[in-house]
Amino acid sequence: MTFKLQRRALLAGATAIAFAPRLARAADADAVTIGWPNDVGTWDPNQRFTPDAQSIFKAVFDSPLTQNQQLKLVPHALAAWELAPDALSMKVRLRDDISFHDGVRMTTEDFKYTFLDRIKTTPGLDTANSWRKVQDIEILSPTDAIMHFSSPAPTAPQWMSFLGSYIVPKHAVEAVGAAAFAQKPLGSGPYKLVDYELNARIVLERNDAYWGPKPKIRRVTIQVIKDASARVAAVQSGQVDLTVNLPIRDTVRLQADAAFTAALLPITRVILLQVRNDLGFADQNVRLAAHHGIDKASLSKAFFNGAAVPLSVPAVSGTPGFLADFSFPYDPEQAKGLLARSGFSVEKPAKIGLATTNGQFPGDYDLARAIAQMWKKVGIEADIQVIEYAKYFELNRGGKLPEATLYSWDNATGDPEIYTGYLLNPKMPFSAWKGMEIGQKDMDLFNVANYDDRIAGYRALNREAVSFGATIPLLQTVMTIARKKGLEMEAFGQWLGVAATLSWS
Amino acid sequence: MTRMIAGLLVRRALVAVPLLVLVSFLLFAALRLLPIDAAAMSLPPTATLAEVAAKRHDMGLDRPVIVQYGIWIDGVMHGRFGQSIALRRDAGTLLAGGLPTTIELAVCAMLVASTLGLGGGLLLFAARGTWAEAAGDLVATLLMSVPDFMWALLLLLVFGVLMPVLPFIGRLDPGLTRPSITGFLLIDALTTGNSAVLFSALRHMALPAVALGMAFAPPLARVLRSSLLDVYHDDYIRQARLRGIGETRILLCHALKNAIIPTLTLMGVQFGFLFGGTLLVEVIYGYPGVGNLMVDAVRNADLPVIQAVGVSYCVVVIAISMITDAAHQLIDPRQHAR
Repeated sequence: MTFKLQRRALLAGATAIAFAPRLARAADADAVTIGWPNDVGTWDPNQRFTPDAQSIFKAVFDSPLTQNQQLKLVPHALAAWELAPDALSMKVRLRDDISFHDGVRMTTEDFKYTFLDRIKTTPGLDTANSWRKVQDIEILSPTDAIMHFSSPAPTAPQWMSFLGSYIVPKHAVEAVGAAAFAQKPLGSGPYKLVDYELNARIVLERNDAYWGPKPKIRRVTIQVIKDASARVAAVQSGQVDLTVNLPIRDTVRLQADAAFTAALLPITRVILLQVRNDLGFADQNVRLAAHHGIDKASLSKAFFNGAAVPLSVPAVSGTPGFLADFSFPYDPEQAKGLLARSGFSVEKPAKIGLATTNGQFPGDYDLARAIAQMWKKVGIEADIQVIEYAKYFELNRGGKLPEATLYSWDNATGDPEIYTGYLLNPKMPFSAWKGMEIGQKDMDLFNVANYDDRIAGYRALNREAVSFGATIPLLQTVMTIARKKGLEMEAFGQWLGVAATLSWS
Repeated sequence: MTRMIAGLLVRRALVAVPLLVLVSFLLFAALRLLPIDAAAMSLPPTATLAEVAAKRHDMGLDRPVIVQYGIWIDGVMHGRFGQSIALRRDAGTLLAGGLPTTIELAVCAMLVASTLGLGGGLLLFAARGTWAEAAGDLVATLLMSVPDFMWALLLLLVFGVLMPVLPFIGRLDPGLTRPSITGFLLIDALTTGNSAVLFSALRHMALPAVALGMAFAPPLARVLRSSLLDVYHDDYIRQARLRGIGETRILLCHALKNAIIPTLTLMGVQFGFLFGGTLLVEVIYGYPGVGNLMVDAVRNADLPVIQAVGVSYCVVVIAISMITDAAHQLIDPRQHAR
């Protein structure tokens, strides 16, 4: 032991602790500290579909494709790709200049290992579900391969940029095993992981040999701060340079502070009511009245400072399934009329259940309460039931969800299959709607290989599903973000350029 | 004396084993009664019903609770606490990673509580019968009525934001690399002679430790004051005065030694509560201990982790109880005579 604990040292230490200067650190042009609301949990990027972890994974690993600011698919680790017209195969060409952090070159062997071999050999990978249709990956050369699917996989390119689809090094995973790899990962991304403490911090160091644009920041420290108030305090006190998912009112307050840049960014996450087609919602009039009775603009104003965009279909502007020419109006009189046709009124309301989480996404419980109040005015009495998000699927499987459930849905790809397709497919665990009049049309679209036909089908289905009362889209939600003045970044869609696009001006 | 304490610890340990088995079974059974499908939750939402059923079978969830418990306890005996549903890692490994952090924080918080509590008790006693005693009582009541998580937010706001003199995120400054030997950061920093890490860790620990300790200090002060009032009626105090011993010496060398015994018992009991109180405080300060782990586990209905952390709380409470008993044995002369 080299450190001698002497009285003088102790006194000096105590003095330093007591009279420490203001903590706000001068912006180090080479380092950034980020306050992030969640940990990644595991460093095996194929293991868990955790939306909040994807921004961090993107710093350490490379996905085959990525998206530009308009959410269009663009090459990344793959230089080119071509989905066959029948969507039963896809040719891919890997870049030839990508190396993992240990210097070993990435080849199609790694691609095949990631999307086929390890899915078969490693239990518990979430990517086993997203890539279950992969039957074979035919390697033509170190850069060329053909993916073969057991049934049409029209959204395979979209999934190449989505949850969990990161290429892992075959040699490293096989050498140390999946469990050890998840502790000490080896990627090919713009940053290397140099230190990690579960639920505390992630330290990333720039990968100077990165094949793509070099990040300007050398060292990124991500502090896991789960409490929203603590995140606000952390950025205000200068203990972090950037943080996200702040309460709306704090974000608005920080917007007025010259020391910070704060924003409410519309993202591809939607808030909607997942509805059943039976119980109190068996009657289409009641479902449509429930939709007409919600003043979405007021909800946005009350809970999102007006930044959340009211939606009429389960898709956001700029994505293929969005319908600019279709709107489902807030019309309390029409809602009352529809309810009257079914024998309901304010005095004799239709009684339904409304499930909501409390704290799963900003304002969820309050939104549910506001909706219940709006419904009360038109003749619908909602019994609010608080559920844990984790129990949604289980309750849905057992048919135990109430008539409506307030639900938040992320779809960074913007593809309508991952909006409407998943949300209204009666065979999938996300959909509370089990009616086949809409459900069959939804399921049929999963097998449409042609992109234009598929998109046209979903656009038509969106219009029909909403008009039929099979879904009640509410709002395109926003991500709140605050950072020190002078820290520049790119943010688009759901994926924040959390590390690679940061720079100090 | 050493043999006596060793005997006491062995007896307590023998009682602790069946107690732990009972508590762990009750916890296990209670968690299994919750309407949570651990198999479904350990698979992605896109899993089919057949896959969920197969997983349920693999996890043994289709077997009677007592059989499931038998499998679990057998695993625990071999160092396996079951795989975390959310993190896909052994719950025991996760627990081992967080436990040193929480123990270190709880011990420091107890030091804060003891210092404030014992000091406050002595001051209250010294001020007995004056307006200062009433004022002290009022302050103690106010301190007690604020829960630890509220202290955490208040201290964070005052010393982190308004007068930013102390850090409140995590355990270390961003530029520092933590030594990883025992998991106890302060010990590791001392062992490796890393003074930068030591002082950074102390600064980061200051606010959470004070937040946790603050609510526990007033009961200690009150019990100590009350015990001192009791012992001051004893004959030996009167005799000490007759022998001309000064009041300060009587208080510190004679009365305190006896009066502190009930306070010590209370400290033992409080440590268990304090350990449990780390849940929200760790979340607020981004402290990576078992409290933080437990909050996530409850949110995700991660049964293996809840089970492991729950049992660890029980072990800590039993261990503290044993240490308190041993301390009694050392301090209380009446125990020696038995």
